[in-house]
Amino acid sequence: MSKTVREVPLINLQREIGGNLGEFAGWLTSMDYGNPMDEHIATRTSVSVFDVSHMGRYVIKGKKLHEFFQKVGTKDLRKFKEGFMSGPVLLLNDNGGIKDDVMLYYLRNDEWLAVVNAPNVVSDREWLVSLRERLGFTDEDVSIKDVTMKTTLIAVQGPKAFELLEKLGAPSDIKNLRILQFIPGAEVLGEETTLLSRSGWTGEEVRSYGFEIWTSIEHGAKIFRKAVEEGGKPAGLIARDSLRLEIGYLLVGEDMDEMVNPIEARYWLPLTLGKTDCVGCGKVMEAYERGVSKVRIGFKLRKGDRRIPRHENKIYAGNSEVGYVTSGTYSPILKRSIGMGYVKSSYAYIGFKLQVVIRGELHEAKILEFPMI
Amino acid sequence: MEDITVKTRLGEYLVKAGLIYTKTDEWFRKEGETLIIGVTDYAQKKLKYVVNVELPEPGSEVKKGETLSTLESVKSVADVYSPIDCEVVDTNGKLLDSPDLVNKDPYGNGWIAKVRIKGEFNERSYLAPRDYADKIMKEES
Repeated sequence: MSKTVREVPLINLQREIGGNLGEFAGWLTSMDYGNPMDEHIATRTSVSVFDVSHMGRYVIKGKKLHEFFQKVGTKDLRKFKEGFMSGPVLLLNDNGGIKDDVMLYYLRNDEWLAVVNAPNVVSDREWLVSLRERLGFTDEDVSIKDVTMKTTLIAVQGPKAFELLEKLGAPSDIKNLRILQFIPGAEVLGEETTLLSRSGWTGEEVRSYGFEIWTSIEHGAKIFRKAVEEGGKPAGLIARDSLRLEIGYLLVGEDMDEMVNPIEARYWLPLTLGKTDCVGCGKVMEAYERGVSKVRIGFKLRKGDRRIPRHENKIYAGNSEVGYVTSGTYSPILKRSIGMGYVKSSYAYIGFKLQVVIRGELHEAKILEFPMI
Repeated sequence: MEDITVKTRLGEYLVKAGLIYTKTDEWFRKEGETLIIGVTDYAQKKLKYVVNVELPEPGSEVKKGETLSTLESVKSVADVYSPIDCEVVDTNGKLLDSPDLVNKDPYGNGWIAKVRIKGEFNERSYLAPRDYADKIMKEES
């Protein structure tokens, strides 16, 4: 293992409770805690607890945050207000290609927080700083501090997430939080967090309950430990991946990158169509008007087919190569393998059957609408 | 002889006493002219949760170092190599429905194949538990 791999702040606690460690995007963290399928099912039916501290965290301060992010992100933030998260916002390159999707938190007018994807902890900040210069903003207008190594992010996800957090002494009004709303300084286990939000990346934040807690390392460790003691199933990145794939959430670096634009990626949530005042937004509008030749799809293999479609596996329609896989996993809910990929637009019909080549063999794949469960 | 638990900064791995190991992370037990083959605890922990196992046909012949079986996890695919020229006598059919037996019980119910030795068996070409434990330490130091 190379020396550039960083350990997440709670690595020792993860080890102690049985974490099966592995590497993801330059981080050493738990891939599972024994059985990722059980962890997946617990998230859908009960409650699980994830240490997602491998995600990057920034504190962003300044006088012109609204103005700046209006120009660097794809989402219209004019109605973005205190106590809410923005939902995913895309950072694009000049060609409209996707650099990252980031989540902004509106603490107050001159202080926002951001969560960025693990592979981009360093590069997003560099990109934003370069845009600050390019777009004529100053350090006083926008300053970005990376606090990833000084904080933790704990996700509590599933139908029983509220009950579990109640046992941990979280305020009972978290039950009434709207999706993407947060309480700054919410107390958990008698201590203040930075914030507690109704959010997540498992789908349960929408389907049932999902909360995320941004807090100090010491406090995060106490919360994670207590949440597990009180019946929360510790869950790792394998379950997180299969959960997000069932829903159809995109993983940057796998399902989207600078070579695809948001129209091809069918990533509507972060897009305010017609918004042309951001870096890359004009190109997105062009793609929208021109139409795109490939689009992202989700698919399932036949029941019982357990071969996993892998990034870059080819997709065929008969003898014709029509696309490629970007990610795949096994869904314990659908009891078969599922995946995501891109195909030529003229093949992207819901219910259409295609063939995925996995280790030299053709496997029938049926295109599904998202969410796939 | 006692089982060895190897502790590295990445994990804890059981190396069972009484088994013979390969550099490619298989274990086997010799009973007369047959070998019972599986993958080690270290191998299954590296591979992560196994969702699919492909087994050889009984009666098929496999050369030393060739693929005997393929294990697939959500993270990656790994071949299980035959430690010797052999003929497959039996395979663990339970793995087709419960591939995660490889994770749950790699040295027991997660065994993969039983083979009959066709070539010459030389125990010195393999690793004793202590040597295999050292190999893990070296890889993860």
